Amino acid sequence: MNKEILKKSQSLIGLFILCLLLSLLSDKFLTGTNLWNVLRQISVNVCISVGMTLVIITSGIDLSVGSVLAFSSALGVGLLKNGVEFGSFDTFMGFTVLGSIMITLLVGLALGLFNGWVITKFSLPPFVATLAMLTMARGLTMLYTKGIPISNLGSSFEFIGSGWFLGIPVPVWISTFVVLIVLFITKKTTFGRHIYAIGGNERAALLSGVNVSNVKWLVYGISGVMASIGGILVSSRLNSAQPNAGTSYELDSIAAVVIGGTSLSGGLGTITGTVIGAVIIGVLNNGLVLLNVSPFWQQVVKGLVILLAVIIDQKSKRK
Amino acid sequence: MKILITYLSSLITLFFISCSSKTDQEKPKVAVVISTLNNPWFVVLAESAAENARKLGYEAKIFDSQNNPATESDNFENLISSGFDAILFNPTDADGSISNILKAKTAGIPVFCMDREVNSDVAATSQILSDNYSGCVEVGIEFAKSLKAKGEYVEILGLVGDNNTWARSKGFHSVVDKFPNLKMVAQQSADFDRNKAMEVLESMLQAHPNINAVFCGNDAMALGVYQALQSAGLDKKVKVFGFDGADEVVEKIKEGKIVATGMQFPKVMAETAAKNADEFFKGKRDFAQRVPVEVELIIQK
Repeated sequence: MNKEILKKSQSLIGLFILCLLLSLLSDKFLTGTNLWNVLRQISVNVCISVGMTLVIITSGIDLSVGSVLAFSSALGVGLLKNGVEFGSFDTFMGFTVLGSIMITLLVGLALGLFNGWVITKFSLPPFVATLAMLTMARGLTMLYTKGIPISNLGSSFEFIGSGWFLGIPVPVWISTFVVLIVLFITKKTTFGRHIYAIGGNERAALLSGVNVSNVKWLVYGISGVMASIGGILVSSRLNSAQPNAGTSYELDSIAAVVIGGTSLSGGLGTITGTVIGAVIIGVLNNGLVLLNVSPFWQQVVKGLVILLAVIIDQKSKRK
Repeated sequence: MKILITYLSSLITLFFISCSSKTDQEKPKVAVVISTLNNPWFVVLAESAAENARKLGYEAKIFDSQNNPATESDNFENLISSGFDAILFNPTDADGSISNILKAKTAGIPVFCMDREVNSDVAATSQILSDNYSGCVEVGIEFAKSLKAKGEYVEILGLVGDNNTWARSKGFHSVVDKFPNLKMVAQQSADFDRNKAMEVLESMLQAHPNINAVFCGNDAMALGVYQALQSAGLDKKVKVFGFDGADEVVEKIKEGKIVATGMQFPKVMAETAAKNADEFFKGKRDFAQRVPVEVELIIQK
């Protein structure tokens, strides 16, 4: 039992040691503003990684999150800023902030469901299907924005990314809310149990009556929505939708999931682990800059941390 | 027998294809090979190059090298085999791109470099270059002037694997390092990315809350930095310097929010390169190897 608890809190212990080290090395680390900064900065990765966790538990992968983030937010923000003109009807349709958010979420959902459809309908490996989406969605973003950022989106939209509510940054509220919902899904619903069942043994799950295709569809759909929430956070924080937003975010989120102890072969993993993984990456990014470590070394250090986390995780699982 | 028919028919098809491309050759084809389309500045460079070529009566097509010399090499091979007649070229790498240019040269296709240079005087037909180094010397002079040669600052670098990053940084430091009271307290990279620059500066401000200025390797990062300063309430106190001449930054300089940027002229470079290609088709051969296009300093009035 003790071992069980130790195993579960491994990444937490890692995070604790990291924080201890950083607070010894820099007196600026453990300050209120700095910690809020870290939490606000990781909220995008937390949202994406939580969706990614569900996908990886089904023993899949979603490489398209960064591009889906860029396209869904660019489209939503573009409509917020410019509206749509129906030339032939001589009418103009404007979008409110809420409307643009809905569009962004719907686009994220649609792209995610498309991933799920391709994967289940044509039995494509998720790696390939989402790799294709990574390229397509980035291309669509470039087509839509013509490669130029869409900026100055108004203060009410900016509030989502930069505002504070009850002493806590709005992005932190949003990511916390997202985490709680997904926690509820994985712990309390049949759908959540089915996700684990599929990752553990897809054939057994199928034989015991789980609608594997539907569950997978939905999981990729959720991942798409999470990416688009990340897109809303990034574009509102910058007050601008950048065509190259989210480039290589898939790697950061896979890293968070893996550091959090989720197995890439599926069936195992927790949402809390992933959140801790995302915090570790965020703290590491922040700490390396605080200590003014050379940008060349930063990449090496990050890679080493990922390796270390996975090695420890593997060892404890074998025991 | 079947095989023979297939073979013959494909030969005949090939014959027709090659014939039809011969008749099309009245209108030369110009390829625009661009280092990346993932950045608005390069999109402007690529599109105005293609536009200028079309205006001069040529067919034009854009190839994206995705910041990767290997992709660039594929692009060159493809466009050589599909019969392009000239290349307006924005290289991915000063050394790595030379072999690609030579490939085109061997095939008899002239290459006109734009913006970024390659370290060879015999490969390209001509190079129309934006002088990143001298441009940042100018920014450095303005930087020292504006801070009255005294204060602490941080530098935000672009991609650390990109030669423009270092050309800019070196140009800036060639001036600023001569003032002993201008002290760089930290140097970090933000990959030319707005979001990353904002996050990096948020962290840097924790370690160095008393800085007087930030020098950024491009304007996207300057905008991210400005946003971080604004939300920390330091935007009135800390001076921001950028490079590129992005519209949003020029706007912010007018509003007195950002101090200065080096304006590069992608459209001028693209137009000159297209014009050179046109002259080449008309028989001109003696082009100056390097034509620098000056960077203009934009400052608050």
